Amino acid sequence: MTNHTFSLAWRLFRHETKRGELTIILLAIILSVASVLSLSLFSERLQQALSDKSAEFIAADRVLDADKPVDLGWIEQAKQMKLNTAHQVYARSMVFANEQMDLVDLRAADSGYPLKGKVKISQQPFSPGEITETLPATGEAWIESQLFQTLSVSIGDKIEVGDAEFTVTQVLSEVPDAGFNVFGGDPKVLIPKADLAATNIEGPGSRVGYSYFFTGEKDDLDDYYTWLKPQLDREIHDWDSVEDENTRIGRSVGRAGQYFLLASLLAIVLAAVSIAVAAQRYSQRHYDPVAIMKTLGAPKAMVQKIYLLQILFITALGITIGAVLGFVIQQLVVTAIADKVDVSIDVWHWRPLLIAIFTGTVCAVLFSLYPLLKLFSVSPLRVLRRDLGANLSSRLIQFLASGGAIFLLMWAYSQNLKVSAILFSSGIALVVGLLFVTYGLIWLGRKMGQGRMGAWQLAWARIHRRAMDNSVQLISFAVTIMLLLVVLVMRNDMVQQWQDQLPEGTPNYFMVNISQAQQPELEQHFLQNGVEVKKFYPIVRGRFAAINDEKVRTAVSKEDPEKQNQGRNGLGREANLTWSNELQNGSKVIDGKWFGDNPLPEEDPSPFQVSVEQGLAERIDIKMGDTLTFNIGSEIVHTQVTSIRDVHWQSMQPNFFFVIEPRALQNFTPTYISSFNLPTQRKADVTQLMQPFANVTLIDVDARINQLRNIVDQVSMAVEFILILVLAAGSLVLIAQVQASMDERQQELAILRTLGAKGNLIRASVVFEFVIIGVVAGIMAALANELTLYMLQTQIFQMQASLHWQYWAVAPIAGAIVVGILGALGCWRLLSLNTSHLLRQMV
Amino acid sequence: MTPELINNTNMISTKGISKIVNTTQGELQILQPISFDVKAGESVAIVGASGSGKSTLLSLLAGLDEVSDGEIYLDNQGMHSMDEEQRAQLRGAKVGFIFQSFMLVQSLTAIENIMLPAEIAGHSDAKQRALDILHKVGLEHRADHYPNQLSGGEQQRVAIARAFISEPKILFADEPTGNLDAVNSEKIEKLLFELNQNSNTTLVLVTHDQELADKCERQLHMQAGVLTEITTESEQLEQAVNAG
Repeated sequence: MTNHTFSLAWRLFRHETKRGELTIILLAIILSVASVLSLSLFSERLQQALSDKSAEFIAADRVLDADKPVDLGWIEQAKQMKLNTAHQVYARSMVFANEQMDLVDLRAADSGYPLKGKVKISQQPFSPGEITETLPATGEAWIESQLFQTLSVSIGDKIEVGDAEFTVTQVLSEVPDAGFNVFGGDPKVLIPKADLAATNIEGPGSRVGYSYFFTGEKDDLDDYYTWLKPQLDREIHDWDSVEDENTRIGRSVGRAGQYFLLASLLAIVLAAVSIAVAAQRYSQRHYDPVAIMKTLGAPKAMVQKIYLLQILFITALGITIGAVLGFVIQQLVVTAIADKVDVSIDVWHWRPLLIAIFTGTVCAVLFSLYPLLKLFSVSPLRVLRRDLGANLSSRLIQFLASGGAIFLLMWAYSQNLKVSAILFSSGIALVVGLLFVTYGLIWLGRKMGQGRMGAWQLAWARIHRRAMDNSVQLISFAVTIMLLLVVLVMRNDMVQQWQDQLPEGTPNYFMVNISQAQQPELEQHFLQNGVEVKKFYPIVRGRFAAINDEKVRTAVSKEDPEKQNQGRNGLGREANLTWSNELQNGSKVIDGKWFGDNPLPEEDPSPFQVSVEQGLAERIDIKMGDTLTFNIGSEIVHTQVTSIRDVHWQSMQPNFFFVIEPRALQNFTPTYISSFNLPTQRKADVTQLMQPFANVTLIDVDARINQLRNIVDQVSMAVEFILILVLAAGSLVLIAQVQASMDERQQELAILRTLGAKGNLIRASVVFEFVIIGVVAGIMAALANELTLYMLQTQIFQMQASLHWQYWAVAPIAGAIVVGILGALGCWRLLSLNTSHLLRQMV
Repeated sequence: MTPELINNTNMISTKGISKIVNTTQGELQILQPISFDVKAGESVAIVGASGSGKSTLLSLLAGLDEVSDGEIYLDNQGMHSMDEEQRAQLRGAKVGFIFQSFMLVQSLTAIENIMLPAEIAGHSDAKQRALDILHKVGLEHRADHYPNQLSGGEQQRVAIARAFISEPKILFADEPTGNLDAVNSEKIEKLLFELNQNSNTTLVLVTHDQELADKCERQLHMQAGVLTEITTESEQLEQAVNAG
């Protein structure tokens, strides 16, 4: 390349930048880079924070759960791979004190525990806990509030765990990895791991589990898992991370992640659209210089180099400014919300920067490709015949280049073919639909543009005349509005569904062991204290004895005896049995029929029916029609499985593995469980509330609920900010489009002006034109929005799909208002110039 | 393909060149077969009414467009057998242009517009040449102005300077005074002919302006795509002398 070519390209670039000729395309690149960088940097920082926060729920980044101690070499390897480790042994065990006993969830932790999150303790049962950095000292045990009730102990008293004796020194208010199943957990007792041996509860046949906690950099964790994976035995080991879909938090974080991804993808598409618009305009403005250069003898290769260099200069400048701007925007947002949302402010992520640079480059290059090819094909003859445009007529290259670029970016960025394909295909559907609408409009324009030239006629006539330009513009408006709608509606639906999971007033205390006689008294007492008691569920304790007459411990199926046995043995044979014709909230029958739908009379001779929880049914191979046998007190009850239920274990509602038909259990004397909601600030009232009912055990899940709510609030808040960022990006795209199209209208305005048309007529006609375009774009956007949302919600977010009628009105109205206002503003700018200036600009 | 060469003193030589364009109504012959020569250093005006085909003829002579039929030689090189790239090279080496609408690159300053052909040709002294010629057209004080900051007359002077910077053998001018008032027209005409004579350039210009045409040695008259030659006074004189 000669120096002349470079210096000519540089000079053109410099002058054009100075004269504002490149403003639109530069703005588009800046916008794409800034929005992608700010969104992805913000979302990555937020994700990191959320993931850290969520990691608290498993007390680590990763947990290896095992049925027996693992090879110490594994832990050594983890340390060598720069991971922090901690260890905890857990067991269900009986605890004795004051001649009373209770089954507890015993946890023996070493000094590293917890790697994430905090342990909270207090000196008074049921009082708010305070964070502690220590663990029980040798010979000490920290126990949960309800154990103080059931064992009638106080701080300083002794309890027996297995063969060892411990002094209770603290109330254990909270451990991070408590789990969310209210009834899956017995009250916890925390002891030092060093003291575990003395209890002698480990040993053959004991139900002891081993948790190994790991924290560290994600890459190191992944490397470690890659190393560890071949050595894991699926029957014994379970590798957990908070991102795993099987937790509520995992799902929320997962969805939030998908949402950030979606928002960023849409930002990319928005930016790409604006670059395409700007590049088209850029190319048209350079037809003359290219024709002049060619006339003066410039070979095609030279022209190509000059303009490719220009695009490179523009891209480089755009990326630089965009990166700085994007960083500043997200830093401002992060600073603004720092006190509301935890974001790891100090973490710098290279990936968003690389993505932003990649996006800017790919957008600028691929979206300029077709306009540039057109530009290169301009004939030198244009210097004599000004009407000559470019010789390139095939739009195939344009469609392939722009479509390919968008898809490539989506795929590269999301690494999720499904999300990319859904968004891309709905985009294509929208474009095709819009082409039909546009041609409908052209037809309509022909009809309505006839007659006396008022502002409306002028608007319709212009739409008709500029059919192709308008179709491009209409499509880009509609795509922009649609993308904004998708982001807005997804956010609303998602936040709504999160909040629905934990509505205000979700019970945060559960009471068990309520006798039938206590029910009214308890309800009354609570009401007097302004607390409403929820539904009472009858409970009998039963022992799960046999499946199809085979004892649970010996039940063996032919296919996989080891697995079956393992699973069945792992099941606690003591079970809470309830009876009800009513299906619990959040439960869903997935196989068979709910017996409550057709209750049988008491005297019906058919076998008693039982409904089994899906996970348990899978684990111990219970099938429809199996006979399950329970020992309840001294009686044996045979039941037949007539339905399998999907239970929402994290709904903070009482849930049961087995629900039995009322006619089977109504002769047993049950105890009841119930729940109530008490605001955290009234925590101190618990003791007074429970005082008259000494036998009732209280389970405090307030901390759990607050943990959950906290994370949902954070994610919701983050989503709001992402929404604002995308809205800003979308608005800027609209402005860029209107500005670009205003340029094209300049000539017409100049002529109308010269011919003496009044400013008001011109202004009104331009505004009407934009209003019409805005309305049509809005309608199309609403339609495409529904289609996209349906696919996103059902295929990606695993949410319930819903229709959004309100947006059918909102989108066209908002489209008309926003696009109309932008059109009016653009028009005012042009009309403020005098006619000779306008005409001169046209030369 | 190697350009065809002939050897004579004609700067332009055309043999039966015609132009046919495709329209929605089928083919349209906008130029009937034309043959004529222009000698080196000669000044020729192509005159005729709007739509007579004079600009089409100019575009063919300058190699901006392809002939449909016939042969056309510019400085003994057969342009009819060249592709666009070869024609561009030839234009860069031997041709200068002046247009009615000036055709300056709006985003380059006056001096940069003048430098453009020299830079395209790869001359390392482009700037010095531009400054010299800018001085000749009397616009040195406007060197760093953009086209839209110059008057029409000034813009055309810049265009003339641009046309002469690479010392072309032939200069094509399309209505060079068409956008100018009488005073400026006169100045531009004067400048154009002065530079033309000083550098012994062949001049082919298209014009409506009979006064301007009369200043040329020969006039070619176009009417509905057909060329008729009008002999100028000097030629009549020359013919009379020869006859005598």
